[in-house]
Amino acid sequence: MEELPYTSPFYIVFNYIPGMVNALIEFNDVSLMYPNGHEGLKNINLKINEGEFVVIVGMSGAGKSTLIRSINRMVTPTSGALIVDGEDILQLKDNQLRKVRTNIGMIFQSYNIVKRMSVLRNVLAGRLGHTGTLRSLVGWFPQNDLQIAMNNLERVGIEEKAYVRASNLSGGQQQRISIARALTQQPKVILADEPVASLDPPTSHKVMKDLKRVSREDGLTTIVNLHFIDMAMEYADRIIGLRDGNLVFDGPIEEVTDQTFEEIYDRPIKDDDLLGSEEETDEKNESGQI
Amino acid sequence: MKQYDKIRTHKTFNRTKRMYVLATVLILSFIYIVALVSTPFDINSSSVSTLETLRRLFIEPLINTDNYEKYPEYIGYMLETIAIAYAGIFVATILAVPVGFLAARNVGGRLSYIGKALLNAIRAIPELIFAIIFVAAVGIGPYAGVLAISINSIGMLGKLYAEVIESIDSENVDAIKASGGNRVQSMWYGILPQVLPEFVSYSLYRFEIDVRASTVLGIVGAGGIGAPLILATYQRNWEEVGMILVVVVVFVSLIDVLSGAIRKRLI
Repeated sequence: MEELPYTSPFYIVFNYIPGMVNALIEFNDVSLMYPNGHEGLKNINLKINEGEFVVIVGMSGAGKSTLIRSINRMVTPTSGALIVDGEDILQLKDNQLRKVRTNIGMIFQSYNIVKRMSVLRNVLAGRLGHTGTLRSLVGWFPQNDLQIAMNNLERVGIEEKAYVRASNLSGGQQQRISIARALTQQPKVILADEPVASLDPPTSHKVMKDLKRVSREDGLTTIVNLHFIDMAMEYADRIIGLRDGNLVFDGPIEEVTDQTFEEIYDRPIKDDDLLGSEEETDEKNESGQI
Repeated sequence: MKQYDKIRTHKTFNRTKRMYVLATVLILSFIYIVALVSTPFDINSSSVSTLETLRRLFIEPLINTDNYEKYPEYIGYMLETIAIAYAGIFVATILAVPVGFLAARNVGGRLSYIGKALLNAIRAIPELIFAIIFVAAVGIGPYAGVLAISINSIGMLGKLYAEVIESIDSENVDAIKASGGNRVQSMWYGILPQVLPEFVSYSLYRFEIDVRASTVLGIVGAGGIGAPLILATYQRNWEEVGMILVVVVVFVSLIDVLSGAIRKRLI
């Protein structure tokens, strides 16, 4: 594999104007060794530019989650430098790290919302990093925060559910709560760790469309883990392939072919690797119900 | 169909395991025999017949209308008893939350051992001893009872709270931390909403226990219905003892039924 750094057309144009496009996230020789000796990441070198929609693919256990969780240091790499928005986050102390994390929204496979709280309060939890401890204990959020939260609920289409208990919403709607929560942080980066893995195919497509739309609207840098090839092809601007903790592919979506995936997965592509398109699965779903 | 060898519902024990079981059974039966032999079963009967005492205890208070006028007084004492339990559990419910968080392994970390040790120490001391200490400290009356009940309830509630906190899924906490929230915020928004119904349920359950516990607190002067009860027993005034017991049984059952119904709705 040739070691050509990826440059988007966007980047090429603005590269001549200093300061227009920055590598927002930069991995310099980042490795991560888990305490049990398993190597999660091996000498990763990677630059992710502002505003990109990057999809990370690879088999389970390839280090996709580890890579994503390194960016907000939910797991801490053991060597190298990881620069996020100009700061090496591996050197930061706890309270500095919290400040960086307020700029990074995160979406999880299992939504990680509090099911017994109302939708609005769940979304407001995204403001906690900007809210004083005492204030958040009494739950007295500034009106401005409430406005931000409600607006983001509207953007993902569930504003009429604001005062409903989160447990009463469907899986797709619950994942939208967590998207709204991430947006309410007003972040620069959104990390999505297998955001649609617990959803059925039609809902997966709707949620991914929402995610892509809002991150476009806000110009967010978005990094998503997906394991379905066709989904990755449909939504990504750029694909990063991981295998056994190694970076094995990095390139714009135009360069990606079926062969690329076979190289990343190190085996022929199977039907299991495909989610199926929206229409097809809709039909499948209906026939399945009968 | 394939024919297996004889199939048992459980795995057969191997030699060492069988020896363990045998040893356990032998030790337990030895203890039981010692206890049986060393307990004196002979009755040192007093001048009054047992049957007569039982009649005065349980039949007389119900059928003798002359005694009825005393019930309001005992009901008043019982209400004081319930008030002691309520005030005690109210304080304990609030104070047990920080202690519970401290004692939970997934929140307190290494400090959780300190929290657990503290709670174990509290629970090892009976309420009655706390009541005696507080009667000495703040004087005779229900205030001492409230203090005794609340301290003792913290011991149990703190442990139960800690166990509830340990059993939650920590992913919500991750979400708050990932968005830049601090420790306190992640507890308040990640853990507390998940555990609150269980907390309330355990507090109600402990309130039932506390009502029963505070009926005897009066014995050491810590207020409530225990004082007239112990006086009546000293005087061998069985009719009065019986009436007090009737009041206690009725109120305790009522509270158990009520709080049970509320608890069922909570979770």
